[in-house]
Amino acid sequence: MSHGGSALTLRGLAKRFGDTVAVTGIDLDVPEGSFYGLLGPNGAGKTTTLSMAVGLLRPDAGQVKVLGVDMWADPVEAKRRLGALPDGVRLFDRLSGPELLAYTGLLRGMDPDTIDRRAAELLDVLDLTSAGRTLVVDYSAGMRKKIGLACALLHAPRLLVLDEPFEAVDPVSAALIRDILTRFVAGGGTVIFSSHVMEVVERLCSHVAILDRGVIRAEGTLDQVRGGRTLEETFVEVVGGRTATGEELSWL
Amino acid sequence: MAVTAGAGGRATAAGQAGGSPGPDRVRPVALRHFARLRLRITANGFRGRPYRVGLFVVGLLVGLFLSANGFLLFAVGAAVDRQTQLLIMALGGATLVVGSVLLPLVWFGIDDTLDPARFALLPISRGRLVCGLLVASALGVPAIAVLLATSGLLVPAARHGGPAGMAVQAIGVLLGLALCLAAGRAVTSALATVLRSRRARDLAWVVIALVAALVGPLQLLVVSAAAQADWDRVASVARVIGWTPLGAPYTVGLEMADGRPWAAAKLAVTVVALAGLLWWWSRTLESAMTGATSAAPTRTRGAVGRATASLLPRALPWLRPTPGGAIVAREVRYLWRDAKRRSNMIMVVVIGLFLPVLMLGLGLTGGGTGAGPTVTVGRPDAATPLVVLLMMLFIGAFVASTLANQFGYDGTAYGTHLVVGVPGRVELRARAVAYSVYLLPLLLVVGAVVAVVRGSPTMLPAIWGVLLAAYGAGVAVNLVVSVVAAYPLPDTSNPFALGSGDAVAKSALALGALVLASAAAAPVAVTAAMLGRWSWLVLPVGAGYGLGLAALGVLVGGGLVDQRAPELLAAVTPGR
Repeated sequence: MSHGGSALTLRGLAKRFGDTVAVTGIDLDVPEGSFYGLLGPNGAGKTTTLSMAVGLLRPDAGQVKVLGVDMWADPVEAKRRLGALPDGVRLFDRLSGPELLAYTGLLRGMDPDTIDRRAAELLDVLDLTSAGRTLVVDYSAGMRKKIGLACALLHAPRLLVLDEPFEAVDPVSAALIRDILTRFVAGGGTVIFSSHVMEVVERLCSHVAILDRGVIRAEGTLDQVRGGRTLEETFVEVVGGRTATGEELSWL
Repeated sequence: MAVTAGAGGRATAAGQAGGSPGPDRVRPVALRHFARLRLRITANGFRGRPYRVGLFVVGLLVGLFLSANGFLLFAVGAAVDRQTQLLIMALGGATLVVGSVLLPLVWFGIDDTLDPARFALLPISRGRLVCGLLVASALGVPAIAVLLATSGLLVPAARHGGPAGMAVQAIGVLLGLALCLAAGRAVTSALATVLRSRRARDLAWVVIALVAALVGPLQLLVVSAAAQADWDRVASVARVIGWTPLGAPYTVGLEMADGRPWAAAKLAVTVVALAGLLWWWSRTLESAMTGATSAAPTRTRGAVGRATASLLPRALPWLRPTPGGAIVAREVRYLWRDAKRRSNMIMVVVIGLFLPVLMLGLGLTGGGTGAGPTVTVGRPDAATPLVVLLMMLFIGAFVASTLANQFGYDGTAYGTHLVVGVPGRVELRARAVAYSVYLLPLLLVVGAVVAVVRGSPTMLPAIWGVLLAAYGAGVAVNLVVSVVAAYPLPDTSNPFALGSGDAVAKSALALGALVLASAAAAPVAVTAAMLGRWSWLVLPVGAGYGLGLAALGVLVGGGLVDQRAPELLAAVTPGR
């Protein structure tokens, strides 16, 4: 294949906000068919990186390729091939679930009959049919993640970029999302998602990258990165956390 | 954990110093903390954003210019006779108070640097919070401008009343400022509570009635002022207003100087009104602090049909299932479902409807009365159609200014369009169409009403032509403005909130867009006035002209969207 088996390629991606450097020259290859976890503590630059990857944020330098198509040179073609669930970006939440799905599908230029069929199926699988005409603004956090995921899946993309898909999601919904994503990868799709929940990443991912203060500290297959230890131990060591001595906060 | 017995007499002191558990001693929150917080937030908002500093400076200059005019108006009162002085002070003051209630509603929005909701978790009593927010709001450009303008009152007070008169008037000026601030906050806060509950959305029309009720008396006043024959009646009206909270703080100095010591009661009138407003504000503040969660969710279960059919409104059968059609459908639904857009739209409707009513009431258009500040060039009946058409010009351009911050209303939800990749021209054309679904019928109705009330139905085609040309020009200008000068709306439940600091500059920008749009369509209005009985030609010409300009706006603005969509998203993201 022309893109060498890489579903998402980042090269020298950099971004600064004023005086703050958010991301400093990231290189990353997400192999096709992989389930890729992007780990990092709060403020590591995960959202910045993924926002640049899906075309929400213009990088200061660097290149993004989605299945071989340059995101910032040919955004229309690149965006056609990926589905995204950004974090910290609202949905058009004054629409009901079905309306939102129809809206996303029509924006993507899909055929109305296809939209209707897939929307009904997605709502059913994600257990959102019972919400009826409730506006998305009145959904719970977990329901909102699910309808966002449905919007990202609607046009059957080959690459899914998900920012914190498991944040604020109850265990039942999380299991459902995990199941859907696993099936998506089994069917030949590629998923990259960010998280700081080690258990989820360890359970799902074939590949992992650890991002800290705007730099990739470790990357590779799950076994390469953890090298015989648990992922959490590796993560804390790579990121360099501090452990409590028991002396502080005694007034609590 | 307990302090050891050996510590003896120092036990209690050590306990309070924070060594052991138990309630810490709490220092009360002083008002200066609110003031400092507000200044700090404003200053932080400038950091690394030179354009905001620029906006702020522009706002400051506009504010200074206006306040200098106000200062002169009030100060010059010292040079004319007593009756006129009283008139200027009472009516000028009343205009300030009414204006500080109406302007945030219809156009400017309210400076929400300190959002009450942010204090919900802090142990601050409501009274203190209200006072603190009031103090903080006094540190904005509009408040300082009002203070500067009204300090012109000190000149006549000092001249006629000496130091004592000046001191009394100074108290009046400060109370007047507090009254203006409290009135604006209380009314917007109360209306926000009303507008927020989605179930009671029809109550929004209460706002219309309220504004209409306020416009009514004002109109009567101006009408009677315009009827210049009866200055005594106007003066007596002014004297009455001088005893209401609207004029009391501004006339107290002069009355005292005239040897009416009981006029000091005017200060009491103001204080009572102020206390009432603050009490009202503190009551609605509660619901502002608990936020939108208090509104009962609209849980409409029941059968959902096909997804696409549920999105495209049945009332608009011409919408096609395309990206453009979807945006029109979404925007049409949003104008009804989103409180911010809804209140913006309602205010425009109010202005669009009541400006002509006001105009007709003033007799500017009727050939009969002939009084008032009619532009009389040559024969009066030749000039009046021009005045009507210029008014239509203004209304058409004004109504289009609802589009000026359309992306700001989307906020980060605009990111959806970015992820999908919507072409800029499709985006802007669809949005313009969606707004026009509401605004065009409104304009046509307004035009018809004006023509009928004026008793000259033959003028209707010309009126419509000018309205359409001005609306098209306004759409064109505001589409471009909405892309290059988008700003975030704060993520609060108050639909009138307008972000921090640069409200004046944003309004100046909106005013600039209005002037530009009116200028672009002015040739149509002037031509229409000169055409006489051929004026029906203006309808097709004006409609075509407006459509052409709007298309140009879509073309230019659409190109801009394609170029800088990520920057547009960053511009409308709150809190960055």
